[in-house]
Amino acid sequence: MAADLIESVAKILFIFGVNVGVFAPILGWVERKQSAVMQDRIGANRADILGFTAIGLFHSLADAIKLLTKEDFVPDNASKFFHTLAPFISLVPAIAAFAIVPFGGRYELFGREIHLVIADLDVGILYVFALAGLATYGTVLAGWSSRSNWSLLGGLRASAQMLSYEVAMGLSIIGLIMVYGTLKLTEIGAIQENFFRWGIFLQPVGFIIFMTCAIAENKRIPFDIPEAESELVAGYFTEYSGMKFIMFWMAEFLEMVTISAVVTTLFFGAWHIPFVTDAMLLSWFAPAGPNGAAALAMLVNIAVFFAKVSFFIWLQMTIRWTLPRFRYDQVMRMCWKMLLPLSLINLSITGLVVLLR
Amino acid sequence: MKTMTGLEHSASSVQVGIPAAILKPKKVRRRLDMTLWEKLYVAEIVRGLVVTSKHFFINMIGFIFPPAGKKRKVFTVYYPEEKLTLPPAYRGRPVLVADAAGEAKCVACGLCEKMCPAHAISIVAAEKAPGERYPERYTLDLGRCVYCGYCEEVCPKEAIVMSDEYQGLAQRDRSRLVFEKEQLLRPEGKVKARLTYVRRIYSKWNY
Repeated sequence: MAADLIESVAKILFIFGVNVGVFAPILGWVERKQSAVMQDRIGANRADILGFTAIGLFHSLADAIKLLTKEDFVPDNASKFFHTLAPFISLVPAIAAFAIVPFGGRYELFGREIHLVIADLDVGILYVFALAGLATYGTVLAGWSSRSNWSLLGGLRASAQMLSYEVAMGLSIIGLIMVYGTLKLTEIGAIQENFFRWGIFLQPVGFIIFMTCAIAENKRIPFDIPEAESELVAGYFTEYSGMKFIMFWMAEFLEMVTISAVVTTLFFGAWHIPFVTDAMLLSWFAPAGPNGAAALAMLVNIAVFFAKVSFFIWLQMTIRWTLPRFRYDQVMRMCWKMLLPLSLINLSITGLVVLLR
Repeated sequence: MKTMTGLEHSASSVQVGIPAAILKPKKVRRRLDMTLWEKLYVAEIVRGLVVTSKHFFINMIGFIFPPAGKKRKVFTVYYPEEKLTLPPAYRGRPVLVADAAGEAKCVACGLCEKMCPAHAISIVAAEKAPGERYPERYTLDLGRCVYCGYCEEVCPKEAIVMSDEYQGLAQRDRSRLVFEKEQLLRPEGKVKARLTYVRRIYSKWNY
């Protein structure tokens, strides 16, 4: 019992540390630096400690210090309770959604089966959708409670966009669930040990729809109409400052990480290296003894998983810095007239194939 | 006289302007008619991503392994450490030209003061010798100056020119933007390039 507790706490701390401690601050830097490198600029490189700039990494630190010491401003007519609550409702689902994503397989370590997932729920992927639905409340509440026109417009747009895209997102995944026959992300990951059973080969259309809807759910360019700097100042978080403001940012970045993790798990072989089965990996590390081999295989799998996650974060960043924003009506048309029918067609074709096979 | 409603106008036999037979309505190509391939978005998005990723990877490789010999193609100027050499056509803040003796070439005729659209210049004239004027005070308020270069254009003595100086224009106090004659004087050698340029472009109006 105590061992179970220690294992769970260790896994939670690991994921929390990686997400909040590594990805959240680094992604703020990556966003600036990657855009700079892409546009033949140099990017953030001024913040230094004793003349040592670490290619601009200290800018994240400087940002954190600045935002922590900033005044926590609440507008006069704002509904103070909801204004304070909204960033938490945004951030918590973003962190919590990672709980069901397996970042490794099962390993025998010292007679104990280690299972590298925080919560192996039977409902699996539905949990991610549930939390994505909850994140909508954060955005809408932030927009509504600020008592500002820009915020309200941002919140309205966010509610329309996020609710619409949830429909297409849910339908795009059902095809994959039908093929794999399970909702559990751990089982879906385990099936993809075979390179030719990766989700991207079985459901390429599903992948494109899911990726599009996920970016739209995350309100990032090209679907950033709730934020829309050029139209709505900063959209739903116009009236936020200091720590609450950075919580929306963190939520956005962590949702990006979660999207990447879910895409990796569903479509890109989870923690597996192509053409390398778990047994092969264990046999390569056999000289290290059974426990050592399992530990090494575990580390390799975790590294592979996070490498894939990093790739998809890079891809989302590249999309963000490549494409212009869709207009509001275009966003809605794309969802209801293109993605939804497409996902339904994909679903029926998948169903037909699954039935006839 | 007919009223100019659209209906009557079209019914009248009077030709107005170019006849419609000659003036064929041009089809404006606004590219609203996307092909099916473009409507699918995915391929076009990938095409865009390829362009940006190409820049990204070329720059990243150049960043990690800087090619020996030649510098990487980055256009950024690290401003306080590096400065651009500005072309003579650049209109920085106006300066007064000093002659060999270090005195202003200005004869305090007041043309620039009169010409200045922003009323940035004010001159107090005095006489050195009978009939020989000089500016006792020459005040230029850079908080008002619009860098139009009219003063330079109008000056008969080439005594005021636009320099390539652009620093020191951000002050916390507006009174510090008011420059006196002593602060504005520059030796002629320093503004040589601009003088040559000015002589060339204004030669048309030199009598």
